[in-house]
Amino acid sequence: MRVVRIALVLAAVAAAPACVMAGARVVATTADLAALARAIAGEPIEGEPAPGEPVAVDTVETIVPAGVDAEAFEPRPGDIEKLRHADIIVRIGLGYDYWLDRLLAQAGNRRVTRGGDGYVDGSAGIALLEVRGESVVNEGGHSHGAANPHYWLDPQNAVIITGGIAEALIGLTPAAREAIVSRRARFLAALAARMAGWRERAAAFAGAKLIAYHDSWPYFARRFRLDLIDFIEPKPGVAASPAHLARLVAAGRAQGVRAVLHEPYEPAQTARFVAARLGVPMVVLAPSVGSMPGTGDYLGLIDANVTALAKTLGEGAR
Amino acid sequence: MSAADAADAAAFLALPFAAAVLFVLIHAWFGVHVLRRNLIFADLALAQLSALGATVAFALGYPPTGGAGFAYALLFTALGAALLTASRGLVRHISQEAFVGILYVTATAATVLAVDRSPQGAEHVKAILIGSILTVGPEEVGKLALLYAAIGLCHYLARRPLTALSADSAGAHSLAVMAWDFFFFLSFGVVVTSSVATAGVLLVFSFLIVPAVIGSLYARTLAFVLPIAWATGIVAGAFGLAGSFVLDVSTGAAMVIAFAAMLAAAGLAKALIFVPPQRRRRHWRAAGTVLAAAPCGIVLASSLWLMAYPQADQPGLAAFERLSGLVPARFLSASDRDTFESAERDAVRFSGEVVRLDARERALRVDAPLPDEEVRRIASYQQTFNEMARGERFVLGVLRAKARARERWIVGAPAALGALIGLALIARPWRRRQGGENAQSSRLA
Repeated sequence: MRVVRIALVLAAVAAAPACVMAGARVVATTADLAALARAIAGEPIEGEPAPGEPVAVDTVETIVPAGVDAEAFEPRPGDIEKLRHADIIVRIGLGYDYWLDRLLAQAGNRRVTRGGDGYVDGSAGIALLEVRGESVVNEGGHSHGAANPHYWLDPQNAVIITGGIAEALIGLTPAAREAIVSRRARFLAALAARMAGWRERAAAFAGAKLIAYHDSWPYFARRFRLDLIDFIEPKPGVAASPAHLARLVAAGRAQGVRAVLHEPYEPAQTARFVAARLGVPMVVLAPSVGSMPGTGDYLGLIDANVTALAKTLGEGAR
Repeated sequence: MSAADAADAAAFLALPFAAAVLFVLIHAWFGVHVLRRNLIFADLALAQLSALGATVAFALGYPPTGGAGFAYALLFTALGAALLTASRGLVRHISQEAFVGILYVTATAATVLAVDRSPQGAEHVKAILIGSILTVGPEEVGKLALLYAAIGLCHYLARRPLTALSADSAGAHSLAVMAWDFFFFLSFGVVVTSSVATAGVLLVFSFLIVPAVIGSLYARTLAFVLPIAWATGIVAGAFGLAGSFVLDVSTGAAMVIAFAAMLAAAGLAKALIFVPPQRRRRHWRAAGTVLAAAPCGIVLASSLWLMAYPQADQPGLAAFERLSGLVPARFLSASDRDTFESAERDAVRFSGEVVRLDARERALRVDAPLPDEEVRRIASYQQTFNEMARGERFVLGVLRAKARARERWIVGAPAALGALIGLALIARPWRRRQGGENAQSSRLA
């Protein structure tokens, strides 16, 4: 099937060589996916320029600005314009960026709608956690299950996500195949090198019991062996009841919770309150690229989070 | 319960209660004025303007809790106070409330645009809508107490001109009137800005309006309205807090509902107890009639609905089924009933399996995380179980529709008939009395 598709694309490419040279316009729904797309197909990785490579990607654009909560995002007219001219769209899926479906319908760009060559759902192939209930959004006839969508926070998942993006890029610009493959290999090598360091640092606080504001960290917790015992706001948007907070604090005290995790765009008051009652620090973690200083790219994002935890729980805190 | 846990419970309720008392004391006073001026939503407009100020400060790079953030919020609130003062001149042409509404939506839209420039300002705006009275800190309560004491003192000293101002809605605008008006709105804006940041827009509106309405129900002069408003407001706040703890629900929302319930109770008490004796008897009779007629009316409506559309949602019948234990399965054939019951069991079992698999993966996450392949398998089991549970629910829906089609006449017709008879019985003595009274009044005439 794929072979046939690639063959068709090759035929199309042969018919219109001008298209190939232009490079693809990639649009990602979140800054994290955009950072991963850039890492394998655009800007040099870690100050390592690559002269003379064929251009695979012209631009990588993001729909949700860095630091904005993607689930509470309101699209703008400019976003439809981005989609109209996009060659590849990369999304989180799992109902996280549910607003994209309506935008795509409005943009009317067949290439990047579901089933098109330029449509990349980053969640494809990921080992999903917490597949509870049914998805509200019906994704192409079969229920995906409302799995936890924060899978990009496990750095190991970047391998799968970049794989999906690379496949779509190669399908679109077969001439740049070599460049894309070697770029991805270099990125994955850099990731693996950093991963070893992260795991080493995380070993110092493995098994640490934590309370988080929302359930956004299961993938991160699984990779770095954190024990998230409960959440301040289990249902996003419904403020915690006093009984829930009392249970939370009692459980936190009984189990020896060591910190309260907090994201920059969550209300700080309640997290601060719980941390104060438990007498533990509040650790601010970045949920996505660009949401905090020093999280400009994907590796920086993971690094900042591991560093923040290590600073509070590991190295100096013992 | 350990000493620490007991201290938690006390801390969870003592500080929010103290804050609620402070809020009721100052807001009921403003509420009385706002009611008399017919400017019910002025607080929303002023709060939104102060939120706009804070957001603009954030967009310019100041932290929202710092001095600059406060200064911007105050500046925008003062602007709002000036606009509200100026709108007094409009009263002759249009309702001032229309102007307040326009001010509110404009400020809200401007806030959305300002948030666009400062992504994390969104948190600030969300916090203002919801608030978090539950987690108010001791130093915050202290600050509020000082601020409200100062504003309360100023208003106490200026109570005569302020009360005269609210009584006169004709729209006189001499310079002195304008100055007092501006002072009123500015202090109102400061109070609302501080309280909305802690309690949220919904709860602040309740603090402001509900006690003042209850007070105005029972008395006319400020000397009586205010104490009644304070007392009922504090009681409602205490009930809301306790209810939120006992029922395990969000504090702000529970308190808003408690205030509404307090108003309903006060209204009922006013109609049934605090009335002259002869009217009291009539009101009790009317209440009895309504109390008897309402269930009959509901039964009649749901049975007509069942007979008209048995396959549609049947909230009345579903409630009856839950209360009586007369489940739809009773109306099915033996084999259908078996299918129904096993589908019910399986739907619960499959959902339980999903949760169990989740718990298993989670339990192993720390010590020996499952390999990706195993996690994928769990996820696909979970998806399968979800689909199967959905299938069982579909079966339940089909069989329930089948049962309802049988219940349509067996249950619907007798219920409708019974309800009609009930209504007729209730209407008869009432009509006779009504007729008697009419005859009496015509004789007197």
